[in-house]
Order: sequence, then structure tokens, then C-alpha cells
Amino acid sequence: MSDVVEKTLTALPGLFDSQTGAARITNRLRQLIKSITELTSKHDEENLIKQELSAMKEQVSSPNTTMKQMREVMVRAMYCEMLGYDASFTYIHAIKLAQQGGVLEKRVGYLAVSLFLSEGHELLLLLVNTVLKDLQSTNLIEACMALTVVAQVFPKDMIPAVLPLVEDKLSHPKEIIRRKAVLALYKFHLIAPTQVQHIHGKFRKALCDKDPGVMTSSLHIYLQLITESPDGYKDLTGSLVTILKQVVGGKLPVEFDYHSVPAPWLQIQLLRILSLLGREDPSTSELMYDVLDESLRRAEMNHNITYAILYECVKAVYTIHPKAELLEKAARCIGNFVLSPKINLKYLGLKALTYVVQHDARLALQHQMTIIECLDHADYTIKRETLELLFRITNAQNVTVIVEKMLDFLHGCNDEHTIIHLVCSG
Amino acid sequence: MIKAILIFNNHGKPRLSKFYEHYTEDTEQQIIRETFHLVSKRDENVCNFLEGGLLIGGSENKLIYRHYATLYFVFCVDSSESELGILDLIQVFVETLDKCFENVCELDLIFHMDKVHNILAEMVMGGMVLETNMSEISTQAEAHSKMEKSEAGIAGAPARAVSAVKNMNLPEMPKNINIGDISIKVPNLSSFK
Repeated sequence: MSDVVEKTLTALPGLFDSQTGAARITNRLRQLIKSITELTSKHDEENLIKQELSAMKEQVSSPNTTMKQMREVMVRAMYCEMLGYDASFTYIHAIKLAQQGGVLEKRVGYLAVSLFLSEGHELLLLLVNTVLKDLQSTNLIEACMALTVVAQVFPKDMIPAVLPLVEDKLSHPKEIIRRKAVLALYKFHLIAPTQVQHIHGKFRKALCDKDPGVMTSSLHIYLQLITESPDGYKDLTGSLVTILKQVVGGKLPVEFDYHSVPAPWLQIQLLRILSLLGREDPSTSELMYDVLDESLRRAEMNHNITYAILYECVKAVYTIHPKAELLEKAARCIGNFVLSPKINLKYLGLKALTYVVQHDARLALQHQMTIIECLDHADYTIKRETLELLFRITNAQNVTVIVEKMLDFLHGCNDEHTIIHLVCSG
Repeated sequence: MIKAILIFNNHGKPRLSKFYEHYTEDTEQQIIRETFHLVSKRDENVCNFLEGGLLIGGSENKLIYRHYATLYFVFCVDSSESELGILDLIQVFVETLDKCFENVCELDLIFHMDKVHNILAEMVMGGMVLETNMSEISTQAEAHSKMEKSEAGIAGAPARAVSAVKNMNLPEMPKNINIGDISIKVPNLSSFK
């Protein structure tokens, strides 16, 4: 910002007598940042930060430091750590801040903990009691914070201690708590699946929750569970198809609309799950044909997000048991993507072709010319994607040409990783 | 699943870094540098998707990025996320920042890093998308800020004056998001002492 505004920013707080809360807190951070931006060398920056860190060290060890001041120090510590400097002496104080501070201090303490610590860190055990206390708190905000921290970083061995409390939150009257509880349990499932085996029934309840937000969160869990083993969940197909029908038909409250599209991220999630359920299963696929047709038809508008939905539809159509009319519509869709001048769509079209080519090589051959053009595209990502595709449509006739093109690309390619990847798959 | 969310400026200076998977401090810094290196090479007219660098999982993961004036917003995701969906999620995040900070600019992100983290935490939790509605996210995040304002009381006046000054400086507001340039030229303000 210009000098005039800089001067104003620093002068203003001084014009007023009482300086509490937000003004003082950001002041020292402001000074630190200003000083850093004025420096030109990395060496100077290191020296400045080292000075700052030793000042902070004194502050945190002093018994006179108030919670408010500790909060301010913590924000500076987070800033230093973000730049890559070690401020590990503040970690224990972050936990204390979350333990002993008021709501605002707690918030900063928890934030610092989630940024500084990771699973397996010895200090995490100290956090457990604070989290337990906050989960039982009647203050919604404290409970929310505890759930957020639990989903970000929590020692695996202590999950049993906190599990009943989180489970309990699944039936909390406030939907934000239920939603966060669902995601926290999903995190538990990822890091220690055996610990949450017994509560799969509760996930089903979350799926049928009257609040669509909670239902959407439960889909994260189901996507994972169904990816791991689809057979156990085929009975859900009917309900999921009904949900998708209702969403596409505009039955959700208008708050869920995004640029006039009803709950697009939810639609995408549902389409993915349905495609996994319908794979290699004609009877289950049968249940979905209508809704897929409807989704393909509805996603006609020209916004990025409708294209996202279309892409998922197309993938679903090609994953499940084939149906001729749907395949035709999907193929036309892919064609539109690949021929689109919008580069993001071209990329998706190529990606779709790569996916589809195992089912229907003719589609790729239909767009051969466009694909060859893409090989010389200015955008590296497009070139890369085209190569993946070419590799898959290699046959006896075109192998020589394709290998030639690939060699050309490799010669011009600077990225080691790509070279290794291509050579290995070639 | 979202593996990491990074915001850095045109020179690669990190403004926000949140990792949803464990990496050592050193690796995190290297990832930021590597991502900046990959993303800054891109032209303006190319697609918003890139393969992740080696450090963040290589071709298993994708980098989805948007460039707004002086800032890059990068989401590193695995194959379970929809690319265009995440692209719009970045837009939702930026629009929420704009709502919460009143015409957000890079300075806001720098000076209120903790507030930005809090907003992000209402959108993405443990690497999973929690909420996609801009009003919902800002309501949750602001429930905390309301407490901060009541604590500030009279001392909240400088903060309000500061935002008034910042608004005076910025050139005309286009309808879409404008994360203004940090070195904006200010018109003659000689009367303002």
C-alpha cells in the first residue's frame, strides 16, 4: 500500500486512548510484518525473526503475561512458523491457551495446535482433557471448536476416550454440531477403522437426517465405505437415487442453490457413489438410468459447475452397466467438451476420453484430429493429458506415429517426474 | 480429500498454508516453494489444473489453482475430488473472504491470518468439504467475530476508520472479486493528516 495509507494505519491506533483487544493484538504483528517487508535479503529476515522469536520466548515464560497477550504472541508464532521458522517453544503454551483461556483465546489456541502439532506428537496427550471438557460444554462454539480440532489432529490411541462424546453429538439438536460430528467420525474411520466399526448404524441415521447438510456430510463416509467394498451397500441405491431425484428436481430449500444450480457439490457426490454401486451390476444400474438421464438433461446451463455435474454424469454412465441411449447422450457431451474453446472443458473432455476409451475406442477415434492438435497445445497440462490418452488408443495401425509423438514430447520435456512416469507406463 | 490449501503472492511468499496431511516442517516449506514454482510458470490462458509436484504426491494428486491479481489460491486434492467442483469452491472461499473483510485485499489476509484460518475451518474440516454456502460459512465465522467486536468496544473505532481509509484508496469496484494490488497509487490526500 502507498506511504500515505501506511502512515495512516500506524497513526490511527495512537490517536485513541484506550487500546484493547483487536487494535493492540494486530499492532505488534503489523510491526513485525512491516519490518519483514522492508528487508531485502533472506539473511536479514532470518535475523529479524530470530530476534522476534527470542522476545516471544521471554514473553511466554514470564508469569506476568496475560491470556490476551499470549493470544497475540501465538498469532505471531503462527506467522513465523508459516514462513518456516521454528517456534516450538510456543507449542505447550498453545495448549495452555486452549485450556485456560476464554472463548477467543481458546479459538487461537486450538488453531495454533492444529497448525503446529500432528498425530503422534508427544504434546497431543495434554490436549485430550481440554477437548473432552469442551465437547461436554453447553457453549455451542466451544463444542464446535473441539470437534474441528478432533478432526484435524488427534492421537489415535485416545480415540476410545473421546468417541462416546462425539457419537453423542450425532443426535444434537443443532445441525452444525451433527455435521461436524459426522466428519469427525469419518476422520476416525480413516485413521482407526476398527474403532468405529460398531457405529455404522449411526451413519445410516445421519444419511436420513432431516437436514440436508448433515446428509451431505455423511456422504463423505459412504463414498469411502463404498469405494472399499460396494457390495455391503447396494441396498442404499434406492434411497440415494431418490435423494438425487429430489435435488435435481429442485426440492431443496433455495439456500442450497449455487448460481441457480441446486446443491451441485451434493449432486457430484451422489453421482460418484451411484457409479460405484452400479458398476458391473445390471440390476442396480437399472435403478439409476432415469435419474442419470434427468441429470444429463438438466445440466444445460453455461456455468463451470454444471459442467462439473455433467462430467460426473458421463463418468457414471460409462462406469455402470451400459444403456445405449445414455451412452449416446454421454458421448455427445464428451464431444462438446473436447471441441470446446474453453480450456478447462477441453481438459475434462480429454480426461473423460481417457476414461471412456477402455469401453468404447471408437469415440476417441472420432475425435482423432482434435486429439492430435492438442498434442501441440501451448498448455502443458493439456499436452500431458493427451499423451495419456494416446497411450491408451495405441493399436497396431497407429503405434508408430504415437510412439514418435511421445518421443518428441519426451525430448522437449523438462520434468523428470513426467519422463519417469511415461517411460514406465510405455 | 483435500490435502493442502495454500495462498501465496506473486513472489511466492506464503500468506496462508494449511495441510490436512502430516508433513515435516521442512517438507511443508519445500511443498510451498515447489507449488509456487509450478504455478507461477503457467500462462494466463491455460487451464486451472496441474499435476501435483513430487513432494505432494505427484500424479496421484492435482493442484487446482486460481490467480487473483497478486495472489494464488491453490488447493491440492486427490482423485476423489471433482476438479471443476474445487475450482468453484475456491471462488466460494474468495467470495466469503470478500464478504467477511469488506472488499478484501492482500493486506487483510496478511494482518488477519487467524481470521482467514477460522473462515477456512468453517468451509473445510479435516480435508473434507464441510459447507459450500457463502452465507453459512460467514455466519459461523462471524459468530466469533461478534464476540471480538463487543470486546473491542470504543477501541473498535480505529479498526472501522482503517477500513474506511482502505476503501477510499481502492479504485472503482468491479462487480467480480478484486483482490487489489498492494502498491496501489493513492490520489491526492494532502488534506488528510
